[in-house]
Amino acid sequence: MDVPHPEPAPAGLSRRSLVKRGLLGGALLAAGGAGFLALRGGTVVALPADGLLVFTPAQFAVLDAVSRRMVRPRKGWPTVDQVGVARAADRIAARVEASAQKELQQLLGLFENGLAGFLFGGRTRPFTRLDGAEQDRVLSEWRDSSIALRRTGYAALRTLVIAGYYQSPTVWPSTGYDGPPAIFGLGPTFPEWRGGDEPRPDGNGVWHGEPLP
Amino acid sequence: MIPAGRILGGRDTLVNTTVHCDVVVVGSGAGGSVLAERLTARGLDVVMLEEGGYWTRRSFDGREDHSYPRLYQEMGNRATDDQSILILQGRNVGGGTTVNWCTSFRTPRRVLDHWRDRHGVKGLSEEVLAPHWEAIEKRLHIAEWPLERMNSNNKVLWDGCGRLGYSRGLVRRNVNNCANLGYCGLGCPLDAKMSMLVTLIPDAVEKGMTVYANASVRRLLVGTRRVDGVEADLLDPETDRPTGVTLTVKGRTVAVCGGAINSPALLLRSGLDGNGNVGKRFFLHPVVIMSALMPDPVYPWSGAPQSAYSHHFSERGPGKLGFLLEVPPIMPLIAASVFPGFGESHQALLETLPYTQSTIAICHDGLMPDDVGGTIKLRDPSERRVSIDYPLRPFHFEAFKAACKEMARIQFAAGAHEVRSLHARPVRIEKLADVDAAMDAAPWEPGRVRVATAHQMGGCAMGGDPRTSVVDSTLRYHGMDNLFVVDGSVFPTALGVNPQESIFGVARWASQFVAAASA
Repeated sequence: MDVPHPEPAPAGLSRRSLVKRGLLGGALLAAGGAGFLALRGGTVVALPADGLLVFTPAQFAVLDAVSRRMVRPRKGWPTVDQVGVARAADRIAARVEASAQKELQQLLGLFENGLAGFLFGGRTRPFTRLDGAEQDRVLSEWRDSSIALRRTGYAALRTLVIAGYYQSPTVWPSTGYDGPPAIFGLGPTFPEWRGGDEPRPDGNGVWHGEPLP
Repeated sequence: MIPAGRILGGRDTLVNTTVHCDVVVVGSGAGGSVLAERLTARGLDVVMLEEGGYWTRRSFDGREDHSYPRLYQEMGNRATDDQSILILQGRNVGGGTTVNWCTSFRTPRRVLDHWRDRHGVKGLSEEVLAPHWEAIEKRLHIAEWPLERMNSNNKVLWDGCGRLGYSRGLVRRNVNNCANLGYCGLGCPLDAKMSMLVTLIPDAVEKGMTVYANASVRRLLVGTRRVDGVEADLLDPETDRPTGVTLTVKGRTVAVCGGAINSPALLLRSGLDGNGNVGKRFFLHPVVIMSALMPDPVYPWSGAPQSAYSHHFSERGPGKLGFLLEVPPIMPLIAASVFPGFGESHQALLETLPYTQSTIAICHDGLMPDDVGGTIKLRDPSERRVSIDYPLRPFHFEAFKAACKEMARIQFAAGAHEVRSLHARPVRIEKLADVDAAMDAAPWEPGRVRVATAHQMGGCAMGGDPRTSVVDSTLRYHGMDNLFVVDGSVFPTALGVNPQESIFGVARWASQFVAAASA
């Protein structure tokens, strides 16, 4: 049995005061993108050959670093590089609304930021400059934080990165999943009825019984 | 004879266009479709607008990575503002009925009685709804799924309840020639699921209804005591971005059927706040999940997704939320998202997916006097994303903890080797004797345990008093002569059962009032 110990919540930091509006809301998050806390001194990683749609190279580096902790090299599993996790996350983010994109960008800034890290956890180095064990500790701190905003941030970042990896069908065999049944392959052979002069094709959804009251 | 209507996509209308009809129906889910079919059957000219796309078995491919973006709100990532509750909700022609798990319950009598006694709802009873349910059940082939076709995933709940002496039942499903594939949540490749997409929407189109898919209604054209129609942005079917073309649809009557989040949002965008009641009393059947490692494979993605349930804990006495136990289908992408942790431990968990059974507890919110639910609000009016606030309170967590304990007991009774709650920081329980201690020690706060919902209700509550409700007992918006809301948003409380059949029944019953106002 592995049971976590609850930690006390500090006074004055409630969900109500921190999560005012938006995905994360509040001044603290906005600080993630502000000048005096701007990304500085983070690791530089190779960018996708076809470029980035939403994130800056610095934000991309944070996504890349988080993805390497969320998904570890493991026998029988494709690597984050094979899947292109951070790129996939950028593509997913490209399809959400502009305001949500901005919040994700701010979140990555706050996550990476040395000053925010110091305020939260006593670290001053950017997230991307920490070693793997330290990065895991930071992720756990966000996840288990008594500050609701950080738990929200962890959930949002985790969802994005996990989606970036597990969207790939190359991961299916690693989870023992055998993929959709073959019948789906017949899809393109079926007509798509759009009304008008075309008669409705017969099928399971067509009612052949007596008229209903 | 009225010529057949059409189903049009966002690129089929190239210039700003105004069309006229008898009734404008906004939304194509369980409410809008049933309503529209009944109105066309009475000879009315109906235009239906749907924000999502028109996807059919021709394009369903059973892939999570394609299906969530195409068929679900916010690509399957809709959540409360604080991310503490994941919201699964349909967004396509057919709405939730295209992607739900086919579970069909009539509204419990005690819920209808509660609406009458506490919310002043008039004329809505089991007796009044019965003929509507009978017609719908016939048309949609709703029938109990036989025990011999139950998949291993549901068998765990069935067997566990049997061994513990808990009540259990077989789910009634809206399917015809179902092959027991298990992909109901990603679009049925056989048209075996009797969704609105393949039944009442085409029925209505054959009778002359026109459907505009990819049409995001931005506002109602509000006049004095009347609504003249609606104005919609057409969206590109590929990118989901506005094409720049505006579609205006004018009608004698307007029915808002966008569901419990988008209907209140549309009213608010149109300046209709129902004395402050629009967006309030939003309920979502908060769900907690326990997953169990079973000795034999259960292949939780395979076979009819829901076939067993237990009402054993549906009524737990005053001051406590009851919960309905069911089983969810689990595929890798959703599993990775909701199963907790990260790195090695998370991957190790996912490697056991074929052996992993999950049980869900659907908590019945909205019945207790002090349970006012959540709130739907606008963000910037130009945004399609709305603010969804659902504060989780001590009575929720009391129910979550009790439910997780009971689900663990059921899973162990069915032979589980290990049971895991979906706390952000993983909790694993290796034997029955540890269940209570582990769940008592686990943290019960927003964001520390995965909570989800696939049932959204309320936000435009019906009731007798305009000071406390949005629509009257004919689903007409208080103070408007020709504006109706016909979907799950009118429920003044949650139901305690999966909502689709309740929405079908109420929409079919309400069609008489909409028709009368459209004459």
